Amino acid sequence: MITFDLIFRILVFPGFTFIFFFTLFVDWLERKIEARMQNRVGPSLAGPSGILQPLADVIKLITKEDIIPGAAKKIVFKFAPILAFSLIVFGMCFFPIDGTNIIPNSAFSGDLIFDLALLTIVNFLMFLSGWASASPYGSIGAARVLVLFLGYDIPLFLLALSPAFLAQSLSISEIAISQNFPFVFLAPWAFILFLIAMQAELEKDPFDIPDAESELVGGLETEYCGGRLAFLHLTRDVQVIFGAALVVELFLGGPYGPVFFGFPAFWYTLWFIIKLIAVIVLSEYLTTLFARLRIDQVLKGNWKILLPLSILSLILTVALNTWIYPWVM
Amino acid sequence: MFSDNIQIKRNFLGKATIILESKSIKDAIVKLIKKDNNLGISAITGIDLDKTIGLLYHLRTSEGIITLKTEVQKNKPVISSITDIIPGANFHEREAADLFGVIFKDHPNLKRLVLPESWPKDLYPLRKDANLADISTKCNAISYKTDESPSQKGNLVNIIVGPQHPALLEPEKFSLKVDGEIVKYVEPRIGYVHRGVEKAAEKKTYLQDVFLVERICGICNSCHAIAFVASVEKILGTQVPDRGKYIRTIILELNRLHSHLLLLGHAGLEIGYEALFQYLWRDREPIMDLTEMLTGNRVIASSITIGGVRRDIKENHIPLIKKQMAHLQERMIFYKNLFENEPSIKLRTKNVGVLSAKEAIKLSVVGPVARASGVPIDVRKDDPYSAYEEIPFKLVTRKDGDSYSRLMVRLDELIESAKIIDYAVDNLPNGPYRIKVPRIVVVGEALTRVEAPRGALLYYVKSNGSAYPERVKVRTPTFSNIPAFQKTAIGGNIADVPANFVSLDPCFSCTDR
Repeated sequence: MITFDLIFRILVFPGFTFIFFFTLFVDWLERKIEARMQNRVGPSLAGPSGILQPLADVIKLITKEDIIPGAAKKIVFKFAPILAFSLIVFGMCFFPIDGTNIIPNSAFSGDLIFDLALLTIVNFLMFLSGWASASPYGSIGAARVLVLFLGYDIPLFLLALSPAFLAQSLSISEIAISQNFPFVFLAPWAFILFLIAMQAELEKDPFDIPDAESELVGGLETEYCGGRLAFLHLTRDVQVIFGAALVVELFLGGPYGPVFFGFPAFWYTLWFIIKLIAVIVLSEYLTTLFARLRIDQVLKGNWKILLPLSILSLILTVALNTWIYPWVM
Repeated sequence: MFSDNIQIKRNFLGKATIILESKSIKDAIVKLIKKDNNLGISAITGIDLDKTIGLLYHLRTSEGIITLKTEVQKNKPVISSITDIIPGANFHEREAADLFGVIFKDHPNLKRLVLPESWPKDLYPLRKDANLADISTKCNAISYKTDESPSQKGNLVNIIVGPQHPALLEPEKFSLKVDGEIVKYVEPRIGYVHRGVEKAAEKKTYLQDVFLVERICGICNSCHAIAFVASVEKILGTQVPDRGKYIRTIILELNRLHSHLLLLGHAGLEIGYEALFQYLWRDREPIMDLTEMLTGNRVIASSITIGGVRRDIKENHIPLIKKQMAHLQERMIFYKNLFENEPSIKLRTKNVGVLSAKEAIKLSVVGPVARASGVPIDVRKDDPYSAYEEIPFKLVTRKDGDSYSRLMVRLDELIESAKIIDYAVDNLPNGPYRIKVPRIVVVGEALTRVEAPRGALLYYVKSNGSAYPERVKVRTPTFSNIPAFQKTAIGGNIADVPANFVSLDPCFSCTDR
């Protein structure tokens, strides 16, 4: 049944327009936090405290000339960034933002796995876009994306299973709604490891190896310009929101919180935004705090430390959930 | 200990100058190495002496500089290479071969170093009779081929970095041969922005040359000025007033402070630590402001001149300088703490590009790079100039010789520099800060070493009694330190190349003077 309400939900709130502007806001927030932590001012000219800077950047990029390198694989080069952006925004549809999913009743058992798979596909599309640009910097950056996400996908999936076990469900909305007591308190070890794996999945410092400026110029974005570059940037930014939203839904009780008066949808959105910003601040803090690691150091750390730890964390969570928590609660 | 035909002049061009025949140069150096284990080469200066070409081998010994002076025939300039006994001489010989056409017999790789490949064959620009008219058309007429193209031979992949590479700040080229991730061979090529300052200096008066040499390098400009000015003052026999000496010392140390802070911040950027970069460069700003306050210019100070300095320090400047130095020392302790306790910095820089003390001496590296390998050389101690004789300070050395120690040496030196400035301001003598000197310089020659932020900077000036110098030779610290990169990068990971390279504090503006 296509109603006005449904179209409004998809296109305006909490769908595309909301996600788009919220992404720009978070981008501004990230830049501000990073600037403040680095003893700088950050964006300050466009709008109050430079809040319109990300929007100005997107508009600027879209109006620029679009150049496609002659040696590039044209079709992949053209469509990979747009497809990546569409998929990551589609992935957002499975998060209950104002209490229900963007498309009501679209939640199904297993959409957690579907969403994580989408994240992987988006990373793969980013790899493809760099690979298709036929530039050494682009290809090396792309190859590094691949190496990194091969390494971090397994721990990320394993860690995402902890809340699924606690909630006895593989649906994101069911996991979120079953958290009367947020899972961050029931499985803090999984929460911390998930944050670290997410940091790597989103290619942020100390894991931003694919776009190490000192070695690779612009990484996989080197050959991109104009609107396609804007889409690549937007994909990165939505990925950040996506990652933070996943943390919120899985560990921090999703959008649910106390409703004081009026519409619950308003309060749920507010709680969602507050929690999401808290996660972003935490992640930005990690980004600013460390130097970039070398790719072999990251891989070693991943296979030797993070993977065993995430398996252990899953075992611990399942054991506690089976024998201890039923007695306590 | 040498053959018959020699002459020794004491306290001339360093501790002593030994004049000998060209064929006995190599034997002499072999004998000197037997006597002194710490012998390295500082520079090889060529001079056009009308019929012959003079070659000055400035050797760095435990006691100071010893110069070996010899001459080769202009029409048959052949001399045996000393690169096999002192590997550090490699670049110096190639430079002399480029600019004077001297042929070094048995040199392993006597290719172009500073001149372009298309430069005409029998044209040596620093010879007095070189005809440089229409040089641009002559250069273009000659086609050339290089053998350094990206290629794959067996397991080795040839990777070319530069001369135009967005990750490099200055034009230079490195051909890396890589087996998987491991670097097997490095071939540096400089000279992309060679400006012929040495030749230009011969066409300008001494006073104009002060401004010219300052522009060799923006970062260590005052060091270039002091090295040139001190050489001219040696020839003239000028005694600079004490106040002038102290003010010079303050300006030179400000130069060092800002250079080291710039490098440390840049190192932060290379290892992906943006916050460190932003913090360090913010703490560099007050130093730039102080330089502006004292000299009137933010970067190129143009303050040191023949006979003293151009501006006095005013009474109301002193508390400001002292306040900033105290603040800087506080900040440096914070950064030292950070470098010692931050795991990701150590992961990227520890055991990267290790250079042992023995190799450091063999390759004749200078400055913080040598000191980080445990070689205690510092011109400020070994061969004091300006007011360094009277100011107490500690010589910073470290043992490990890796990138981490090279950065830490600079951090410790920052604290020492701040203390030097503090002391100099406290003990600033009264009196004039500058004396007048004649415009025409008497016949003579002089050699000066100063400790620039990147290491020993060597100037040789020869005067022929006119208002224009006969020859100005500049040996910059990076020119001596590139062989160290060549050595340390081999066997390392390719991802370590930026962290290793930046720890040498390379300056190609200096190198391509």
